[in-house]
Amino acid sequence: MSDNLLEVKNLYMNYETLEGKVAAVQDVSFSISKGQSFGLVGESGCGKTSVAMSLLKLQADNGFIDSGSIFIDGTDIVPLEEKELRSIRWNKISIVFQGAMNAWNPVIKVGEQIREALREHYPENTKHINYNKMVSLFNMVGLDDSVLNRYPHELSGGMKQRAIIALALSCDPKLIIADEPTTALDVVIQDQILNELKKIQENLGLGVLYISHDISVIAEMTDNMAVMYAGRIIEKGPTKDLFANPKHSYTKLLLESTPSVVGEKKKLYSLDGKPPSLMDEIQGCSFSPRCPNPTNDCKNGLIEMGLIETENGHWVDKCCVNCG
Amino acid sequence: MNNYIFKRLLQFVPVFGLFLVFSFVLFNATPGNAFTNILLNRELPPEEYARVIATFGLDKPVHERLFLYINNFFRGDFGYSYTHFPKTPIDLISEYLPRTLMLFAVVNIVAFYTGFIVGKILAWKRGTKTETWITMASVFSYTVFYPWFALMCLWFFGYKMGWLPVGKFLFPEKWYESPYSADEVFFTMIRYTIVSSLVLFFIFVLSKNIESISQRRNTRLTGFAVLIVVSFVFWNNGDAGLKSTYAWDIAYHMILPVLVVTFVAFAGTALLMRTTMMEVLKEDYILTARAKGLSQKRIRDRHAARTALLPVATSFIFTIITIVDGAVITENIFSWPGMGVLLLDSLLREDIPVAMACFSFLGVLALVSHLLADISYAYLDPRIRIGSQG
Amino acid sequence: MSDPLKIEDSKRKNSIFSPVVQKNWYLFRQSKMGLIGFFIIVFFAVLAIMQPLFFISGYWSNNIYDPVVGYDSIEVELVIVKCPRNSDFPTEKYDKPEDCPGDGEISDRMVMPFAPNAKPGDYYETFLQPAPPSIKHWLGTDSLGRDVFSQIMKGSQVAFMLGLLSATLSVSIATLLGTIAAFWGGRVDTYLMRQADLILMVPQLPLLLIMAALYRFQVWHLALVLGILGGFGGLVISVKSQALQVKVKPFVDSARVTGGTKFKIMTSHILPNVAPIALLYMVFAVTGAIFAESTLSYLGLLNIDMSWGMMIHLAQTDGYIFSGLRYWWIVLPAGLSVTFLSGGFYLVGRGLDDVFNPRLRKR
Repeated sequence: MSDNLLEVKNLYMNYETLEGKVAAVQDVSFSISKGQSFGLVGESGCGKTSVAMSLLKLQADNGFIDSGSIFIDGTDIVPLEEKELRSIRWNKISIVFQGAMNAWNPVIKVGEQIREALREHYPENTKHINYNKMVSLFNMVGLDDSVLNRYPHELSGGMKQRAIIALALSCDPKLIIADEPTTALDVVIQDQILNELKKIQENLGLGVLYISHDISVIAEMTDNMAVMYAGRIIEKGPTKDLFANPKHSYTKLLLESTPSVVGEKKKLYSLDGKPPSLMDEIQGCSFSPRCPNPTNDCKNGLIEMGLIETENGHWVDKCCVNCG
Repeated sequence: MNNYIFKRLLQFVPVFGLFLVFSFVLFNATPGNAFTNILLNRELPPEEYARVIATFGLDKPVHERLFLYINNFFRGDFGYSYTHFPKTPIDLISEYLPRTLMLFAVVNIVAFYTGFIVGKILAWKRGTKTETWITMASVFSYTVFYPWFALMCLWFFGYKMGWLPVGKFLFPEKWYESPYSADEVFFTMIRYTIVSSLVLFFIFVLSKNIESISQRRNTRLTGFAVLIVVSFVFWNNGDAGLKSTYAWDIAYHMILPVLVVTFVAFAGTALLMRTTMMEVLKEDYILTARAKGLSQKRIRDRHAARTALLPVATSFIFTIITIVDGAVITENIFSWPGMGVLLLDSLLREDIPVAMACFSFLGVLALVSHLLADISYAYLDPRIRIGSQG
Repeated sequence: MSDPLKIEDSKRKNSIFSPVVQKNWYLFRQSKMGLIGFFIIVFFAVLAIMQPLFFISGYWSNNIYDPVVGYDSIEVELVIVKCPRNSDFPTEKYDKPEDCPGDGEISDRMVMPFAPNAKPGDYYETFLQPAPPSIKHWLGTDSLGRDVFSQIMKGSQVAFMLGLLSATLSVSIATLLGTIAAFWGGRVDTYLMRQADLILMVPQLPLLLIMAALYRFQVWHLALVLGILGGFGGLVISVKSQALQVKVKPFVDSARVTGGTKFKIMTSHILPNVAPIALLYMVFAVTGAIFAESTLSYLGLLNIDMSWGMMIHLAQTDGYIFSGLRYWWIVLPAGLSVTFLSGGFYLVGRGLDDVFNPRLRKR
């Protein structure tokens, strides 16, 4: 029994739409242990949010987990019913949504919405205890008490985001998912919020799963990371390793397309083409049409996909083990 | 906000004035007048007819009468009823209105509340069998041809089964000995209804802030129980106690009309609520609520329904206006002597002052409802009520 | 897997309908309720069309089947019975006073003026009016010997004509006015809103009653009045709020910036976006029109030969309503027809709702 907060094993998830079945998540596995931060990176539509939603089993009505297991603090939540899930949600694992703008109910005061969560998970608390807790949460994220009595539309974007973090922390979860936590904010606020998050994580010993398409955020905040493409993880391992020594062609290109603050200015590399449609069966390496140096096997679809560990903890897709 | 209300109230005046003119001209355009039927009496000396006409001023030309009428109207003098002389329209309205109010106040509250709950459930259970069946039933009740349906119910429950009375609002036999007139009893009933609804409302609102869910439920139940006990005491003692048998008679007669009208009326609200809820359920904050681990019931009631309430409540206020149309038919079929009957009667018998008074009353009601609807929308949505700071 | 929209590619190329219509039709088909409503409407439309066809083709002869002046006599022999006095009920044969005379029987008191010598037990030949449904008359005949089914068909024609005419009229006017109110704003808006208030203030039914007293309405007069009243009334307010939502969208601003005249922006941008909602309102307007007509003729105020409302009116004045199920073919078909046709339009409206409002779709 590892002391892993979160263990995802061979997760397969798809959406059923009018036009057919979309294989959004294929054979995804990773784990996060106590106090660690993990980053999930990839372009839009690669499946990262689907993974995040699956962790709370909050996927859309037409989304289904085909197979695999998700162990949260030792319990597999995949076979659980709604009722059992309710006690796990927010209490063990919570989420900071992308777009905090809309995550708040516009007709209910902010404080009331947080109190709701507290009442659900700590029914014995008195009003006094809850109030104190909310005040301390707000202090932690850098908000004033008075915000508790405001309506969501009275707050600025940054304030809303901080409040969302406070909400996520309210029931003392062990793991927080931060889904694009700063995408909608300007860089100054971004910096502030990320620093807050880091402080909170250290103080409370939380596990955090960062999901972003912004690789700089991942670089700054995470211990380990995984890169996703077309629903699969194509490379994963310690963040420092991946940045220093990316093995997969896609990872390399991803890193190259981010401007660097140091060094000389060079033209940004951008990748042609677009990700494959997730509705059709993909044979072989999903990245091969866009890979700058595919081998014959890659193109013919003869390679069986799967991750292989190269160095300590650094995993990469079979096809790129030997790609220069 | 106050500015807005003030401007609207100002606009009332010309609109209402136009309305008065329009109605007056319309009523006077119908051929004949309220007194032509006395001409049927062949022994009547012709001067008599002329005298009657002159007394009521019907010999003057229309524009002159219009001018006089408007003048008097804004001085508060509404004239005398032609057919119920010497009663004034005010007398008549104050007699007939409570009866309609009683009936339709109850109907509207019950129908709205039922519709609200049914709509809530419908949207929540989207795609299940329950939903399809209930929706079908709602559509049927919404589109059923009301006069025909009312007749069928009347026939079935009143005549065939004999469970409920066939029309009228009381059994005359029971009232022979009564020291009270029907209106007195009505007033007591109305007062009781208003007070108890207010009490219920306050119980609900004041208990909103109680922290624990079980405590809150207990408070509400206790409050409700207290209300029932007090009502019991009220109707058994003193003034109300003496009236209680008669009040019960009236209430008994109310059962069928209320049921029938509610059946037809609830579906509109239910279906609107369903649509609005379905839109709301796609919002992000519903996802947040689920993520927080809240129970289905709580998400549905506290988050989804609360937001969906806005447009539904607004449309409800609008439907108050259509009460009248419904009243005319309902009161006709159930022989319930209320405003609808008064209106119809005054129209058919060309009792112009009464007809004008009724129309004016309805006109004001419509204007006020429209204004209320606009205000309530602004009030219920805090985004409009409180400007944003961000 | 497969893309249902793709499969119909071959069909699509050969179809006369534009791709937009086809896609919308496909979405509409998804809604069960919309489909049911659609079929109900088709059913009644078929009824409406079939009637003149029956007459023209000679399948039905005018004398017998005309809904207004037709007459069919069905000869029948009835047994003469002597009904017990009211106080003697219930007897072994009859439970309640209405049960005597029963089916196939006639009371001796009725026969007395015509056949003074008749005794209970004798047979009496007479014409059965109203006659119960039979092969010849699918829904029987009414108290004047007219075929009920034919009446239903005629009523269907009236309902469609009136409903569609008035709904089209009122929605067209309201859409135009509402869009103008939203777009121009200011005084124009205020004026239009107060005008709508004015119309709202007047209760529809009493107003129609007065007008009916003034002027003997015919169906198309009623359609006109309903159309105009509806067009200038509350519907304008609803359309205006829809148009306002479109107005604040960025593409309207860009249209303005690129130099579109107010008129052009209104017609090419705002109107097309408001049109779907207008279509929706039209469907509900039809329901309202059918209801108004039925109510008015039920109250006996419409100068019309035959319609569903008229059928119910006749049923009531002839006293058949309280006969319950005994004369069901007089009492039930008209009311059910009004209900179902209104319901049909309403269901189609719901189906259209699903099509035009993507947020409401299941996927």
